[in-house]
Amino acid sequence: MAESICRLLRDGALEGEHAPALTIKDSIASPFGFHVFAHVLSQLSSFILAGKSQSRGLVVVCFSRSPSFYLELLKNKGIDVVSSDKRIQTLDCYSDPLGWKSRLTETGNFMACSHETSISRTTNVFKDVKHMDKLYNSIVELGKGLVGGGKIRFSVAIDSVDEMLRHASMSSVSGLLSKLRSHDQVSSIFWLLHSDLHEAKVTAVLEYLSSMVAGLEPLHQPANGQRGDMENFSLIEHNLKKGKFHVRFKRRNGRVRVMLEEVHVEHLGVNFTALSSEGAINQGLVPKVQFSLQLSEKERIDKANVVLPFEHQGNGKPIQIYDGRRSLADSKHERPVGATETVQTSEDSGRGEIIYYRDSDDEMPDSDEDPDDDLDI
Amino acid sequence: MAAAKTRASSFSRNLSAAAPSQGPGLKCGPNGLVFLSSGIPDLDKILGGGFPLGSLVMVMEDAEAPHHMLLLRNFMAQGLVHNQPLLYASPARDPRGFLGTLPSPAASKDNKSYETDPDQEKGLRIAWQYKKYFGENQLNFDGQKGSLSLDGKHEYSNEFDLRKPLDRHFLNRQHVDCVSIQDSPDLSVLRDRCSTFSSQFPRNDGSVSCAGRIAIQSFCAPQCAYSNMEWDMLSFIRSLKSMVRSSNSVAIITFPPSLLSPSFCKRWQHMADTLLSVKAIPDEDKDLAQLLTGYQEMVGFLNVHKVARINTQVPVILEATTFSIKLQKRRYLVLECLNQAPVDGSSGTSYGTSGSCSGSSKAGNLDF
Repeated sequence: MAESICRLLRDGALEGEHAPALTIKDSIASPFGFHVFAHVLSQLSSFILAGKSQSRGLVVVCFSRSPSFYLELLKNKGIDVVSSDKRIQTLDCYSDPLGWKSRLTETGNFMACSHETSISRTTNVFKDVKHMDKLYNSIVELGKGLVGGGKIRFSVAIDSVDEMLRHASMSSVSGLLSKLRSHDQVSSIFWLLHSDLHEAKVTAVLEYLSSMVAGLEPLHQPANGQRGDMENFSLIEHNLKKGKFHVRFKRRNGRVRVMLEEVHVEHLGVNFTALSSEGAINQGLVPKVQFSLQLSEKERIDKANVVLPFEHQGNGKPIQIYDGRRSLADSKHERPVGATETVQTSEDSGRGEIIYYRDSDDEMPDSDEDPDDDLDI
Repeated sequence: MAAAKTRASSFSRNLSAAAPSQGPGLKCGPNGLVFLSSGIPDLDKILGGGFPLGSLVMVMEDAEAPHHMLLLRNFMAQGLVHNQPLLYASPARDPRGFLGTLPSPAASKDNKSYETDPDQEKGLRIAWQYKKYFGENQLNFDGQKGSLSLDGKHEYSNEFDLRKPLDRHFLNRQHVDCVSIQDSPDLSVLRDRCSTFSSQFPRNDGSVSCAGRIAIQSFCAPQCAYSNMEWDMLSFIRSLKSMVRSSNSVAIITFPPSLLSPSFCKRWQHMADTLLSVKAIPDEDKDLAQLLTGYQEMVGFLNVHKVARINTQVPVILEATTFSIKLQKRRYLVLECLNQAPVDGSSGTSYGTSGSCSGSSKAGNLDF
């Protein structure tokens, strides 16, 4: 549930514990990871500004979108950014991540655009994304600048870990994340990941490092992966507006909590609702069998009504079993030859039929060949 | 003319090394093995005595639960209580901090789990004469349980109270060594430390005087710089195994298998003498609650995949390989066999003998 996530991030870390960390992962089949990220960001910001959370400040590390985008976003959600620059700071790794522009201006070959030079109060440009330890220092510095030293904590939001992984190795990125988590002053941390941009191992590592994993999955899988089908187009379109929001929480007692919700993308953001269709959230330990071993009530009645092809039914009356030949001398010879009905003592409910053709009638019951023939079947 | 020494036949048991005067921390077992305790009495029983000296124990972590830390804590605390030197390596900045979370041995009086034994002892009187056959191999653990000593140090295997931290004086001794493996670019530092540590306990034919414990936590953790050097890590494990084999020490390595490529994961598993794995339990799972008794108290599952067999060809076949980890009174770690709850007659489904584990992304097998 999205509220539980935001609540856990708001409550932050206990003393001596690592900060809770959230991974939001999506894929091309269900691509609204960023909407969820924005939702969590705005929720956490409002908690921080209202003073309801453990952390007193938020550092947003912007890789894939510019800081002004985030400030706009928060303004649209009703969060007053201007007065909150004491609480929310962005680290701009978007404009000049590798420091090329500044180097070009130094050599004089490049006239910096005027809007680049005006650095607003809420953002700091970071130019060295290849070095994770420098990034770590900048984040911590920014955070401490917001909340001061001592015991006051701040939260960190990382726009996209994918961008970090482009520039630095997996081990340095995970080193940064784990150092942030274990820092005394970090209250909570969350990041966005597009899982199909990386190998499975990367996703596994980030899930290992986080205490909550929120994944977005499509509601309906397109059949056979074929793209050109009209049916599939509508499914894909459907998937672009709705999805399954699947969260795994690692709880303190060592158990894993799994929750499932539906997420709708709307004009202003995302909406989370309970899952409309029924589905098992957890695949339990009960083994999945291919066939149902249980009978429904109707099936039970039908089963009781089927008369088995034994000549002695146990009710004192012998039954003639129709054996496909017209050797019966009773009134039953009106019946057509191709009839498949056998016993007529009770009404079938129409579903249960046993078709029995007697093998051969001319063998004497006590023949030596088959000792079973003296049975009365 | 040299006096010919009477040569014992090749089939006689060589009990000369099985002197029980080594102290409480070590115990002799069959096939000339000497065991040390894992710190969890139930686990010692399952494994047939404990961890044999010279073996490499590997624990596969579950990325979603910290149960391997429980195993490590008990292992390390047991070593400290028995005065066995310890080398601890972890990817944390300051591994010493972890030592503060080690549990203290529970006072024997508090331990109610052995209440049933006096009743059983009475029952054993009838079979009294058979005890003489057990004495030689010292496989009988019932005697162990009955001996309640005043001082926890004299027991082979202690129950640890996870809520009480270990006394400081155990930690201040000289023989606790910590290594941080986070920043080292390769494994040479760790290898040297392990090598010097294990050379303190050379194995010779005499009796074992002291044993050492090596604990390496989260060996392939992603923040370690060497974590993508898979062949190097494998060769480290191999050299650690040979170091440990030729010395009187036990090494335990925990690692998260989901972070390794599948072929390396298999190779690591084959390297182990004793292989255990821990698994998280999904919370509030109604199916599981119906399937297993005692679901509410469980914190996780422990699977025993392999038990060390050194000096023998006979494999260990365990009655059960999956155990539930429970915290009795929230303090004592106990391992219990999984008990299937009575199946409700009206539901009609049969559970069968194996099922797949839920929750985690990898399927596991439960053996009832």
